[in-house]
Amino acid sequence: MINTLKVLLIEDDTIEVMKLNRTISSLALKHEIIEANNGEDALKILEQKENLPHIILLDLNMPKINGIEFLSILKEDEILKHIPTIILTTSNNQKDLLECYKIGIAGYILKPLKYEAYVSKIEKLLAYWSINELIKI
Amino acid sequence: MSRNEIDILKRALQREKAARKAAERILEDKSRELYLTSEELKTTNLKLEELLDEKSTQLQGVFENIIDAYVVMDLKGNILKFNDPAIALFGYDIDKAPVNVLRLIYKKDYKYAMQSFKNLKKNGFFTNYSARIYTKSKAVKWVHINASLIFNKQKKPIAAQGIVRDITELKNLELQKELLLKKLEKSNDELQEYAHIVSHDLKSPLRSIDALVSWIKEDNKAHLNAASLQNFDLISNTLEKMEHLISGILNYSSIGFDSVKKEAVDLNTIVQNLNTILIVPEHITINLKTKLPIVKGFKTKLEQLFQNLIGNAIKFIDKEKGFIEIDVKETPSYYEFSIKDNGIGIDKKYHEKIFKIFNSLTKRKDSTGIGLSIVKKILDIHHGEIWLESVVGEFTTFYFTLKK
Amino acid sequence: MKGIVFTEFLDLVETKFGLEMVDKIIEQSQLDSNGVYTSVGTYQFSEMLQLLQHLSANTGIDIDNLLLVYAEHFFGVLEASYPELLATYKDPIEMLASIENHIHVEVRKIYPDAELPVFIVEEKTAQSLVMVYKSSRAMHHFGLGLMNKTFEHFNSTATIVLEKIKADGTEVKFIINKN
Repeated sequence: MINTLKVLLIEDDTIEVMKLNRTISSLALKHEIIEANNGEDALKILEQKENLPHIILLDLNMPKINGIEFLSILKEDEILKHIPTIILTTSNNQKDLLECYKIGIAGYILKPLKYEAYVSKIEKLLAYWSINELIKI
Repeated sequence: MSRNEIDILKRALQREKAARKAAERILEDKSRELYLTSEELKTTNLKLEELLDEKSTQLQGVFENIIDAYVVMDLKGNILKFNDPAIALFGYDIDKAPVNVLRLIYKKDYKYAMQSFKNLKKNGFFTNYSARIYTKSKAVKWVHINASLIFNKQKKPIAAQGIVRDITELKNLELQKELLLKKLEKSNDELQEYAHIVSHDLKSPLRSIDALVSWIKEDNKAHLNAASLQNFDLISNTLEKMEHLISGILNYSSIGFDSVKKEAVDLNTIVQNLNTILIVPEHITINLKTKLPIVKGFKTKLEQLFQNLIGNAIKFIDKEKGFIEIDVKETPSYYEFSIKDNGIGIDKKYHEKIFKIFNSLTKRKDSTGIGLSIVKKILDIHHGEIWLESVVGEFTTFYFTLKK
Repeated sequence: MKGIVFTEFLDLVETKFGLEMVDKIIEQSQLDSNGVYTSVGTYQFSEMLQLLQHLSANTGIDIDNLLLVYAEHFFGVLEASYPELLATYKDPIEMLASIENHIHVEVRKIYPDAELPVFIVEEKTAQSLVMVYKSSRAMHHFGLGLMNKTFEHFNSTATIVLEKIKADGTEVKFIINKN
């Protein structure tokens, strides 16, 4: 069990990033958030193999490398493919959903309209992964 | 010679004479019969000759008058006969120089041609051969051929004949149609994709606004008066309505774009599963009056059809005890379903309008005016119809049909 | 019954027993034709039956034996009249076996109204033949005579046993074994 998760958030929308940070602080959680504005930045961060995140929260609609492309790159990497990746997106497109599960994801969460609903979802998500046994690299 | 012997001889002689006469008579009859028969034969022969002439003339007429090309070749493929359309199609004058059919076959269709020729020899005919040929000027044309063998009196095949139709135009049209369809499919996919992206892009700012508003509210709790707080609530409601609208438009524009195939759908399961999607308040009972049939259709669309209609019914029930009744009647070619509620009812003058997009009759925030237009569109793609009966303040019954 | 059967029969009676016997059996019989026969005509079978019965009564020879002798004579007529038909056969068994399917077919072409007996082949080997004869005329011994002569024609002999299936002789089994 890990009390403090290292979470890599890959998200291009500033306010979405603020939302996660504010949620963590308002819930008084000790999780560490690593931010990446796009897939390229995220890949750079993931090059430091000694400091890998426990889980990844991934947005699908992003410039340059989109979420699904990023996911494919991740799953082809012998080490990175073990990091649980949860999709955090607005898209309820069945095609995207299927494609993500086909490539391999640890969850698919729709961003709700309401901020309160968002806080509740994130709280549950982080609580769940906090009680999970994760592979230590 | 005794008297007796003479009598015997006399009698024998008489019998011989009578027998000779009888024989002559019989033979005469026979020869008359023969004569008549031969006369009859002559007439028949004449008739046959006439018939043959007539048939030959008819055949000649067919040969000269058919619009399609007519070709006769020997079993080695040497062309023996071309009618005028055949000359026009292939461009060869076989009276000037011999032509073999091999020279006419388009290279890539060679195998197919040989296989068809084999079938011709085996079965005595082939039909619907459709392939390309070269004309004398090396132009490529699509042709359709029906062919059969010609036999001699001993039933041995001696030649083959075929009717050749130029289907180049038709083939080109077909190819064009295929291309167009592919293009259409692609642009449909793109549109669908586009709708998703637009809806995402439109929803993202709404989420941000909601978050920001919540934070302002949270951070300034102490400084906000009641009016401001109410205004914040209104912003929140407006955002919600906006999101419903965007989802609705996305749903509406997605109908009919799916590549899924129709399947047998058990409507009982669909209605039972609705409990997991819809929240049915305790004061409302949903009553399934008969067992529902299994119909052929798009499962998710039919799910949405029932979800929207029953959802609507739930939404507009204003009585203390609400009921929703689902029933079905069977006709030889379709099923007629009815969903009845004891809600607020719909005025007759709106019965047409409600199926048009963005024509919500209420100002509720959970009512975007898209639900029934989606229902209509789903029935359109299933070739079904929808109508309603209603008394304002008492009940509404929606009827719709699905083909068997 | 074809006239040739009558004219040949009376010719044979004349040869064997004299013109007097011919006159006698004709006079003793009640004949529609008054005993006037021509080979191209057709006459009642009952006339032949009467002639046979009276010949048998006058000579003391039973009808079966008369038929046998007559058949042997009649084969000569066939040999003289239809040599091409006989020439199509190389073997007596083959020829007898094809009575129904070949010979009678040919006969019907010439005499469409001929009333022919039926011969059904039951067993056939190169050396033997079992046939069932069926005819309301019960003239099986006429058949037997023709069969004897058939073997003779091909310079061969055979043992032919007759087994009556029906007592009146309208159905008889011929068991033929080549010697």
